[in-house]
Amino acid sequence: MEDTFWIDFAVVVGRCVFAVAFVMNIVPLLIWGERKGAAYIQDRPGPNRAPLPLPHPLDTPKVLFQLLFGQSPKFKPYVMVRAAGLVHTLNDVVKLAFKEDIAPGHVEKFYWFIAPVIAMTIALCTFAVVPFGDSFLGYNLQVSSMDGGLLFVLAMTSLGVYGIMLAGWSSNNRFSLLGGLRSSAQMVSYELAMGLSAVVVFLSAGSVSLAEISQQQAGPIWNWNVFSPFGALAFILFWVSAFAETNRTPFDLPEGEAELVAGYHTEYSSFRFALFFMAEYANMIVAAAVTATLFFGGYNVPFITGQMLREHADLLVMLAGFGAVPAFLTFAVIAIKRQSRPFYQSIPKDDPRQREPLFFASVWGGAAVAHLGLGLLGALGMISGPLGVEINGTHLGPEVVAFVAQLTALSVKVLIGCWIFIWVRWTLPRFRYDQLMNLGWRYMLPLSLANVFGAAAWIIVKQALFA
Amino acid sequence: MAKVKINDVEIEVAPGTNMIDAAQQAGVEIPHYCYHPHLSIAGNCRMCTVETETPRGPVLEIACNMQARDGLAIRTDGDRVKQVRKSVMEFLLVNHPLDCPICDQSGECRLQDYYMDHARHDSRGVEAKVSKHKRQDIGEQILLDAERCVQCSRCVRFGDEVTHTGELRLMNRGDHTEIGMFPGERLNHDYQGNLADICPVGALTAKDFRFERRVWYLKETDGVCTGCSTGCNISVCHQEGEVFRYLPRRNDEVNKSWMCDPGRLRHHEVGGLERLLKARVNGQPGDGVAAAAASIKAVGAPKVALVLGTRASNEANWALAQLGKALGARLYWVAGNDAGAIEKSDGFLMDADKNPNTLGCRLLAEQSGAGDAEALKAALPELAVVLALEDDLVTRLGQAIPGLVALAAKESPTTKAAAVVIPVAHPVEMDCTYTNKQGRVQRNRRATNPLGDAAPAYAVVDRLAAALGKSLGTQMPVVTFLALSRAVPRMNGLDYKSLGPGGKLLAPAPAAALGGEAK
Amino acid sequence: MPLPKPQKTLSFAESSYLVEVIKGMVLTMGHLVKNIIDQDRFRTVEYPDVRKPMTARYRGAHRLTVRPDGHVKCVACMCCPTVCPAKCITIIAGEDPSDPAEKFPVEFDIDMLRCIYCGFCVEACPKDAIRMDTKIYEINAYTRQDMVHNKSYMINLMDGLKPEAEDVYRHDPAAAPAGYTSDEEPVA
Repeated sequence: MEDTFWIDFAVVVGRCVFAVAFVMNIVPLLIWGERKGAAYIQDRPGPNRAPLPLPHPLDTPKVLFQLLFGQSPKFKPYVMVRAAGLVHTLNDVVKLAFKEDIAPGHVEKFYWFIAPVIAMTIALCTFAVVPFGDSFLGYNLQVSSMDGGLLFVLAMTSLGVYGIMLAGWSSNNRFSLLGGLRSSAQMVSYELAMGLSAVVVFLSAGSVSLAEISQQQAGPIWNWNVFSPFGALAFILFWVSAFAETNRTPFDLPEGEAELVAGYHTEYSSFRFALFFMAEYANMIVAAAVTATLFFGGYNVPFITGQMLREHADLLVMLAGFGAVPAFLTFAVIAIKRQSRPFYQSIPKDDPRQREPLFFASVWGGAAVAHLGLGLLGALGMISGPLGVEINGTHLGPEVVAFVAQLTALSVKVLIGCWIFIWVRWTLPRFRYDQLMNLGWRYMLPLSLANVFGAAAWIIVKQALFA
Repeated sequence: MAKVKINDVEIEVAPGTNMIDAAQQAGVEIPHYCYHPHLSIAGNCRMCTVETETPRGPVLEIACNMQARDGLAIRTDGDRVKQVRKSVMEFLLVNHPLDCPICDQSGECRLQDYYMDHARHDSRGVEAKVSKHKRQDIGEQILLDAERCVQCSRCVRFGDEVTHTGELRLMNRGDHTEIGMFPGERLNHDYQGNLADICPVGALTAKDFRFERRVWYLKETDGVCTGCSTGCNISVCHQEGEVFRYLPRRNDEVNKSWMCDPGRLRHHEVGGLERLLKARVNGQPGDGVAAAAASIKAVGAPKVALVLGTRASNEANWALAQLGKALGARLYWVAGNDAGAIEKSDGFLMDADKNPNTLGCRLLAEQSGAGDAEALKAALPELAVVLALEDDLVTRLGQAIPGLVALAAKESPTTKAAAVVIPVAHPVEMDCTYTNKQGRVQRNRRATNPLGDAAPAYAVVDRLAAALGKSLGTQMPVVTFLALSRAVPRMNGLDYKSLGPGGKLLAPAPAAALGGEAK
Repeated sequence: MPLPKPQKTLSFAESSYLVEVIKGMVLTMGHLVKNIIDQDRFRTVEYPDVRKPMTARYRGAHRLTVRPDGHVKCVACMCCPTVCPAKCITIIAGEDPSDPAEKFPVEFDIDMLRCIYCGFCVEACPKDAIRMDTKIYEINAYTRQDMVHNKSYMINLMDGLKPEAEDVYRHDPAAAPAGYTSDEEPVA
């Protein structure tokens, strides 16, 4: 009894930490993707200046030798790594954390302080019901395996508007207030279409538990809900509503910098602003994760069920390991080739950035070697064999492989969804407010209603025909 | 009156008027270098060539040598006239050096103006320009650059006709003609500055103004020279509160176009070291008006003497006379010159009386029954406070004065001896009027803002009256002058507008003429 | 007044947005892919490391030219402060008894914070004394006072500069336009 309690407690904490870490780790990646993607779409290089001094792996023997013999290094034993602008995100975090936190005198203090907390909390809470794997050693891979999972998602997205509304209202200025008003109107309008498109999925799945909905989509990709009749339209409606719910372009009227300064977060600075900023990306991740779960099979690897993953763990590791080697080697070659770019010709020869291509080549090379090893492990059948520790009658090795594979599948789907968010933002202009309302109420709502009726009718017909 | 036709416009001018002036009256400008209204006609620059109608048809003649007579018709806009002007300009510029960047005349140079208006030719010169003597120091006030000269001979005629010294001569022949003097000779008169004024180009420039400021930055304000009782009309040239030079302003009744060098150099005192900027009470900085009011209150009006100033404006004197009347204090006025005045008189513009407003002061003194210097000397033992309005009483009376309150623009023995010193505005810093030795009331306009804590004397007196509980209403010069002209019979009917740029003479004295006026 | 007619009525496919949205996204993705494959397509100059070659007409920081005898060419004619629309030039003139040019600037200050780099001063100068051909565009300082360039600073501005910032036609006089005189004449 005692033992089980502590194990259960550890499992719950572990799931929570994992879910939060999953979202919060993708956020900086998305910020980078947003900047770099925008730049490349607009034909410019984007962020690439902030450097991070790192020790060069190839220097290690030299440095060690010199240190051992008590000499001070005769060269700069580090390399300035810019990593295509990834370091900027790191700098942003430091900057936002240490900036002065200004609370203007005219704001409603209490609500103003909790608004960003609400926004961020709600965004993270929504992820609680998204399953990120079928099971691990018999434990559910879902923070909360509640039955009404999808209802929880809908409830939480409705709550999400409070953060923005409170921020807009408590900032006590007209621009923020207008931003908050727009946001609430927009969210209320599009929630209907979103909920109704989700109803189509309930109907076909016969459940509102996301774990169950994911489970039903295992196997070949035509099991995915998006390929069911009426599912495709439901997906489109759901996805468009998701844009509106996350306040992303073309529905980013609450920010509307051209007319509203910065909308609801005009008065926020420092880390309070960062919370809003991160909440936006967290919302995107959650929206993408929910969409993937509802329509694209969630954590399921296409054509491969969890059962198959566990049975052929060795084969899978071998394929992945050997398959990744040429890719990493190609990256290494590309990295080396970058040495001849005009930029490296124009900076001084002793600039620490000169060794950057070599650094990356060695990193990619190291990755290739590691994957070669991984492939060998698989080839020798070590995963399910000698390395497979048995816990409660289950081999750990295949469980880990299955978990990693399914998490990867979910991550890839989420990242693709997030990329579409970014991609659309740098393609489409913002809607006008009347167009927004028009689209929501006069097109999407009737369409989603019709879709629900159609789906219901199809289910009745299907039952009549095949049952 | 003679009817003359200028460019088909018929106007009436006095017979014998020079045609350049007549054209000016008709609104037509005839360009000229050598003609000057107060010098004889030389007719050597040929720039003023115009066409006259004759029985033989139109003939080219110089306008400066032409007097208005009935039926005279000239034309200044014909093609031939334009061609002549262009040719004259080209001729004058053949040897003229390109000194404009360093020449003080640029901006007010006839060559520059007329080139842009009438010539606009490209240089056809292939030979080297004739070089002459540059930067010659020919006098206290003047530098001569012979290369820039156009041989108009204005300066030669000025020396011959105005100062009768005749130092400058045209020498050599042809394009080697240059202005110069006999070896070892220097300009030796008090009117040298006028040479720089009359020189239409940059050949004669003023040392005092040399490289000080480009003339196009300067604003000109009509003023009156306060150096002596002649009251020469001047233009105060100033920029951003700084006065750079005085130029004579034409007034045919007073100074024609001239002024003397000592007067010209007086602009240095505006922001000079001697200038009073802060009030002093017993040698310490303090509120001068309050201190003066307190000491007057303490001793009582009968022991107070208010001394009108011959250097002060009519308005300030009037304000002080009103204050004396309101308080019941004694009024005096003291003639004479201040310490440091150069008592030079030459019978032309420089007068021995170095005060700009002796006549105005005397008029008001007589009007208000003020006593003279002797009366003041006799009364001194009974007096506890003596207020001096801009005049250097200590020097004029030649003895120490008890309880001296000095209103002054610059330091003098009086301000050094005074218990209370209140700074007042320099004449260029206020609107006021002065009555010169002819009895001409002339208007002086404010060019710059008063420096430091100074304020116009009439406003200071007004403030003093307010501190003593009296209301004079003399802070506004226009209003003050109106009150003054209404109260003084000989000034009846004058106001700032009717004074005009040249001033107005006082009405003649009813019975005994004033002595100073007889001159 | 009748309302203007809409210029074009949208077809059903257009008014549903979806087709047009996808068209736009294909376009932007095309740019993205092209840019990832060939990163030399960018026109962006990686500024502090890579510098654009400045054209000969570029108006950079002002410098004062000197005559072969070492005197500054400026004669303090005040044409540049007169023409300056920003009123950023302050000159105090003085007389040099030893110099045939008579007049020279005792002080010549340009307040670079007020300067708008219009180049009128260069146009107005009758002596070719002020030039903006330094191609220096990094004009910065920690204090306002340091942003006022004085006479000696502007005379010595060209010392120790990279060749591209020097007189463009000095090494290749044949390429110079007619009437062009190099500033770096040999000292007589």
